[in-house]
Amino acid sequence: METLFINDLKPLLDAVAKQMDLYVPKKSGDYYVFSRYDKESDKGFEFNNIRMCTPIKEFLLPVCELAAMTPGPFEAKDIKPFAVFGLKDCDLRSIAILDTVFAEEEFKDPFYTARRDKMFIISSDCSDPAESCLCNIFDGRPFAESGFDLNVSKVADGFIVEAGSQNGEDFVKKYSQLFTSVPKAVMAERDQSRAQAQKQLQENNAELAFDRSVKDIVEGSWESEVFDAEAKNCIECQACTRICPTCHCFYLYDTKQKDYFAKMKMWDSCMRMAYAAVAGGANPNKVLGDRLKHRLMHKFVYFVDRYGTNMCVGCGRCVDAEAGGIDLREVLKKLSQEQKGEGKKKARVAK
Amino acid sequence: MNQNPYQPINGEITDIIDESPTIKSFVVVTEQPFKFETGQFVELTLPGEGEAPFTPSSSPGDTEKMEITIMKAGRVTAMLHDCKEGQKVGIRGPFGNGYPVDDFVGKEVYIVGGGVGLAPIRSLFLTLVDRIKDFKSVVCRYGARTPDDLIYKKTLFGSWQKIKGVDIKLTVDEANGQWKDNVGVVTTILSAKDVNIKNAVAVVCGPPIMMKFATFKLLEFGFEPKDIYLSMEKNMSCGIGKCGHCMLGKYYVCKDGPVFTYEQVKQYPKIWD
Repeated sequence: METLFINDLKPLLDAVAKQMDLYVPKKSGDYYVFSRYDKESDKGFEFNNIRMCTPIKEFLLPVCELAAMTPGPFEAKDIKPFAVFGLKDCDLRSIAILDTVFAEEEFKDPFYTARRDKMFIISSDCSDPAESCLCNIFDGRPFAESGFDLNVSKVADGFIVEAGSQNGEDFVKKYSQLFTSVPKAVMAERDQSRAQAQKQLQENNAELAFDRSVKDIVEGSWESEVFDAEAKNCIECQACTRICPTCHCFYLYDTKQKDYFAKMKMWDSCMRMAYAAVAGGANPNKVLGDRLKHRLMHKFVYFVDRYGTNMCVGCGRCVDAEAGGIDLREVLKKLSQEQKGEGKKKARVAK
Repeated sequence: MNQNPYQPINGEITDIIDESPTIKSFVVVTEQPFKFETGQFVELTLPGEGEAPFTPSSSPGDTEKMEITIMKAGRVTAMLHDCKEGQKVGIRGPFGNGYPVDDFVGKEVYIVGGGVGLAPIRSLFLTLVDRIKDFKSVVCRYGARTPDDLIYKKTLFGSWQKIKGVDIKLTVDEANGQWKDNVGVVTTILSAKDVNIKNAVAVVCGPPIMMKFATFKLLEFGFEPKDIYLSMEKNMSCGIGKCGHCMLGKYYVCKDGPVFTYEQVKQYPKIWD
């Protein structure tokens, strides 16, 4: 695939925005959030060295959307092409995970796939991973090599732009006048910067270099008391699941509108008390610790058994968003230590 | 299946049958033909109010209409119980895997049901008796809380009992009035001699606590976990293995079930909760 060079990002963003709605990073407090790009006043755009605060799933699975109408039918249509700039490798991998669920043969979600087909992805390297980033523990890297239409790597005098799909190739061909060829030294600079970011991640997460897979650690923890202890301060804000780029549970509910009945689809969270309750009152996860356990089992055990991959990309957003102090890294460390016999607690008596 | 799996097809309640003080059967006719296999479930929508999962209780062979037996147990079911004939409804599905009836050919089918759990079993029962010669026998053991709580009374005490190759026994937890039959939970009328276990499959459907003890009893009799078929009840919603509410270990009950063998699910804790 073609690799090119550009001095300034504005002409590139303008060219994308000419074709479709473009969303770019904008600083909000300490974090980056998505903001609609306006080429007349591009104020606020800032190249993000780390992932955005909010997850990319909100573009593919809106927080709340109409799913069906009576009288119907209601189909996914009128979805316009859109582009998102500044996604990281963890975001691309989260999209791949959502694809396995929502674009699954025979069981496709037509609203998800319609948006996915219209999405133009511009990713960029993480030159300065956050303290909470742990992608390296989940086979991730601070830069993407696939899954994007265009990837942008920041170097001292400009940006390296790489096409990663047919759509990306077509784009750089169409706007070839914007680009020059990549000076050789600049490629070496990119390699160095990438290696530096990887080293930073390894150092940050040295304590998470487990001797077994995360799946083995979590799967072996059915009787562990760690979940109850960790969930002690949970306030059920559900931020961990809402901000997670791979959590995708949703809730269907019906409403009356003026001229029709609507079936709506809204984000849900397995940390919510009544999440798994059935009519009549039975609920396998009444206790908070059990809900935390289910969440981790789903991510690291059930999803792997079903789809062959972890349902976690190690973005660390849940660590940043956590209001009750449950730190995924600490939970994994405690489970691992418990199994090794260090600080092993009495196994809970099976009920 | 519809292009949009969340879009119900339109239907109407054409008849309502009182089965017990808390259970009614609803006859639903849909605008478009609707086919299902016995044991599969549907999402029944009360437009603008909500939807809930039910396994039809009628035979899949009846393509004109579908019967759904519903216990008043929550918000949507309570509203359904207040509905009258002519009520417009929506149906999504059918979803999941039903009973593998063809695998039962040549065997004795040992059916254990409790309470409203007889609804999916009635659909299976009607499917089996349609081709009763294919099976060695159909042995049915059913329990309810009181004689008033027994459903499908007319056929249960009448025509079904007379079918050649069918053996039905009933029990209630608490007797009243004219009840002359067994008193006790359903496991009290199960016997290892009811069927030849080496050539039998068991089908269990009912409240979770009843399923748990019935399954343990069947294992005690010598049934293999792979020969015990369970209709699992979870909070099925989307029907296509996406929304997450009905997870049972790695399975989505809506897509991989609702019928599972005990072999499939026994590794997971809390399957009966």
